[in-house]
Amino acid sequence: MWGIVISVAAVSGMGAALALLLVIAERYIANYGECEITINESTDDRKVTVQGGQPLLGALVGQKMFIPSACGGRGTCGLCKLKVKEGAGPVLPTEEPLLSTDERDSGVRLSCQVKVRNDLKIEIPSELFSIREYKATCARIRDLTHDMKEFRFELVDPAKIDYVPGQYIQLLTPVYKDNEETYRAYSISSDPADRSAIELVIRYVPDGICTTWCFKYLKEGDEVRFNGPYGEFRLAKNVVPSVFIAGGSGIAPMKCLLHQMKNEHSGKEVTFYFGANTTKDLALVDEMDRFTKDLSSFKFVPVVARPEPDSGWKGDTGLVTEALARDLKDASGMEAYLCGSPGMIEASIKVLKSKGMPQEKIYYDKFA
Amino acid sequence: MENKTDDNRPSRREQRLREEQLLKRPPDVQKLEETMRSSRLVMGGFLGPDKRALYDIIEEDVSTLGRLGYLAEEVASRMRQLTHLGAQGLGTSVTVEGRFEVTIEEHKGLNVCPWPHGGGVRKRITTVRRLDSGKVLRWTDLGVHMIQHHGFFEGRGSLYRLEPRELVENIF
Repeated sequence: MWGIVISVAAVSGMGAALALLLVIAERYIANYGECEITINESTDDRKVTVQGGQPLLGALVGQKMFIPSACGGRGTCGLCKLKVKEGAGPVLPTEEPLLSTDERDSGVRLSCQVKVRNDLKIEIPSELFSIREYKATCARIRDLTHDMKEFRFELVDPAKIDYVPGQYIQLLTPVYKDNEETYRAYSISSDPADRSAIELVIRYVPDGICTTWCFKYLKEGDEVRFNGPYGEFRLAKNVVPSVFIAGGSGIAPMKCLLHQMKNEHSGKEVTFYFGANTTKDLALVDEMDRFTKDLSSFKFVPVVARPEPDSGWKGDTGLVTEALARDLKDASGMEAYLCGSPGMIEASIKVLKSKGMPQEKIYYDKFA
Repeated sequence: MENKTDDNRPSRREQRLREEQLLKRPPDVQKLEETMRSSRLVMGGFLGPDKRALYDIIEEDVSTLGRLGYLAEEVASRMRQLTHLGAQGLGTSVTVEGRFEVTIEEHKGLNVCPWPHGGGVRKRITTVRRLDSGKVLRWTDLGVHMIQHHGFFEGRGSLYRLEPRELVENIF
């Protein structure tokens, strides 16, 4: 019996010694101390000091520099790419799937995967310095269709937001069950003249962390947080005749562009093709009708693939690309703005190019 | 021993090798299972109320497939084919092979596989309805990936759980 006791004591003692060794190792070996990050050395030359050991993305967010990210730092969205000129070490296996050869050669890295272990020199687009974090109140939740809602967030701090119509924000999903905090990107759909609030159009994703929170937990009066604005999708400054093409929640940035056109008294000729599976998937039709009255050269063409037999639908039917191909004759002097799934965008681009539209005149905001 | 049978289906030996590949566990299974039970990646996790251990679930499902004469990658390949054909509808329902009505719903962003190999898949949901029986099956691109690469059909009671037998009987 004493033999058993001694054996157990010996094993416990070894376990305790190993645990102590691990604590010491963590304190003295894995502790990278403070590290300096130099940002845009040749232009802005900003320097920040951060605690080492954390991902670069998190370190920059901690310094109120919000790099876009849609996957919560899991290395899947590729939005957090930036150039690391010095100090990052070799490209990691988790980065490789999302970096092209050119990007790797020029030092582009996924900031969510790069750990800050020593001083770094990085380059980020200067416009990211104007990204802010916002606190707002959920002022209104409105049903648009069976699976889409519009959310109005009125700003608290800061009280105003500046953005270019077409841009998006990253909405923070808080912990509400056993999830982690995560960000999801949504295009701003509201009138840019109203700088005290933003509106988003959100479509429910079954099992989605953010949309489950938005649809089932978020209430009017609740506080929300988001950062932004981000993105290059915007209206070109010209009066070239254009087509807008969108499906589902892709209508969000288009609505914002139309508000912009109304505010600027734009004479731009725009035809907006909006694709829906059934009539119950049509959203914001009343708003589009109002734009038809307010804008001298705006035409809204909803295209329903399978109208319900009792819906009385008299509009265009089929795919949005079929309607586009029917109506467009010569698109060589036009431009296009697209927002939706990659499949819809790729199919639309094919039609547009077949009608003579040059690739460089096709602007899009792909879902993935 | 030949690796292929006369009809070019994989032999029993090849089937067994592929099953072993699927059942190969990553170094930290406990951490993987914790992630899959949590709502870190999808609300409600991937295991649902299923109390079985992750690799017990996988082993049972892969064995069921084997008894039915299918490999996980064959099933995944067929699912991908239906998704691809359904994608021609650009979000609207299309009739495929005269037997199925397929609708693809796509959302912004990417889904992450819980296994630690990086990358992401499109957030697409494929709904397949058999025109003869009305039977409806639904899967995500992530679900197809997990079936193909990990033999994982999700835990019983989770939103996107697919019973291997039901899947095989309805999509081929």
